Amino acid sequence: MDVKTVLNSVFRRVFDNDSIAIFDEMTANDVEEWDSLAHINLIMEIESEFSLKFTVDDILGLRNVGEMIRLIERKLAARGSS
Amino acid sequence: MIEPLGLGGFPHVDAVESALRLRAPYLAGIVQKQFKEFGQSWLAAFDRELGTFFGNDAAALASAVEGYIKFALDGMLLQKRFDKAGRYEPKTFDQAAAEVYQNPDYMFRLYLPGIQLSHFLWRHHYRQHIFFVERYLPLVMEHGGLRFYDVGVGTGFYSKEMLRLAPHLSGEGFDLSQFSLTYAQRMVSAFGAADRYRCSIRNIIASPPAAPAPFILNVEVLEHLEDPLAFLKALFRMLEPGGYGMVTAAVTAPNADHIYLYNSAQEVVVQIQEAGFKIVEYCEDRAYEPARPSESVPINAAVIVTR
Repeated sequence: MDVKTVLNSVFRRVFDNDSIAIFDEMTANDVEEWDSLAHINLIMEIESEFSLKFTVDDILGLRNVGEMIRLIERKLAARGSS
Repeated sequence: MIEPLGLGGFPHVDAVESALRLRAPYLAGIVQKQFKEFGQSWLAAFDRELGTFFGNDAAALASAVEGYIKFALDGMLLQKRFDKAGRYEPKTFDQAAAEVYQNPDYMFRLYLPGIQLSHFLWRHHYRQHIFFVERYLPLVMEHGGLRFYDVGVGTGFYSKEMLRLAPHLSGEGFDLSQFSLTYAQRMVSAFGAADRYRCSIRNIIASPPAAPAPFILNVEVLEHLEDPLAFLKALFRMLEPGGYGMVTAAVTAPNADHIYLYNSAQEVVVQIQEAGFKIVEYCEDRAYEPARPSESVPINAAVIVTR
């Protein structure tokens, strides 16, 4: 499965909503329950799902879900090449 | 999606909310939550704070919001990692000092503006401020003393509040970070109280001030220390008999420079008593309600003391 598909399942789990369909421009403004606690839960779930670690600067740099996908892809690629 | 408040009458809070909505929309709802809980008086106080400190310098305010976002994210991530580890990241005071207090970039870009905004944006911090205004300040006014020490001035927020709300007082602030002192002096000056305040680098254990004062402030310092009891004993000697102090500490609240873990507010109270203080009153406030009982939440313990 590609990163977007797996990430979509993480979103559905964190927000307990099976109808969520993520898209590149999506932000917290598009999901009513996406507050600070949900955001951190999301980050922790992504770390666990992909076996990655994020820094605060990583998170701070994310403007939308598309950037989140590309960050995960970069981290996975870096891990694969190390 | 939470709709913007539309804070046209409060342009500085409006600017903060707009910046949060743009840069970190998951944090923007906090403005509305605080307004809902504390109402118009909170909104007016926050706007006055921002307007007086930042004036019309929109770039400085935007930079402070950026610092706040990073400060808040850092704290939330550490909270989750604390839940797994059950302890703060092992660190000596000297390591924390090098990473935070003696690091001007970290202090001015993230830490100090982050704390400054948190006084209004975090529920437990604002409740602590209410406790200060409603429970501690009346004791200060009734006592009639004229001087206070603020040990660990941080941003200078509480020094400034003492000077602003009790215009007969003069104060002296101490810290181990020159950058905190610079920020505190700027804070006090912005509110027009510079002529009643001075601050300096001082380790109160190694070099206590010559005379005690009728009032002392010590806001969220204890958790930064390796031996808070030794510090509290030195603080006790700085308070005149019959005087009043307000001592607060962060409980189960990991941060880059929190090295002493209090697991409950009661632990703070017991330690303060052990140092010799009598407890007048105390309160504890949570940052938010946990989603599950097993999740830790940052707590503030605020204690009014006398001797």
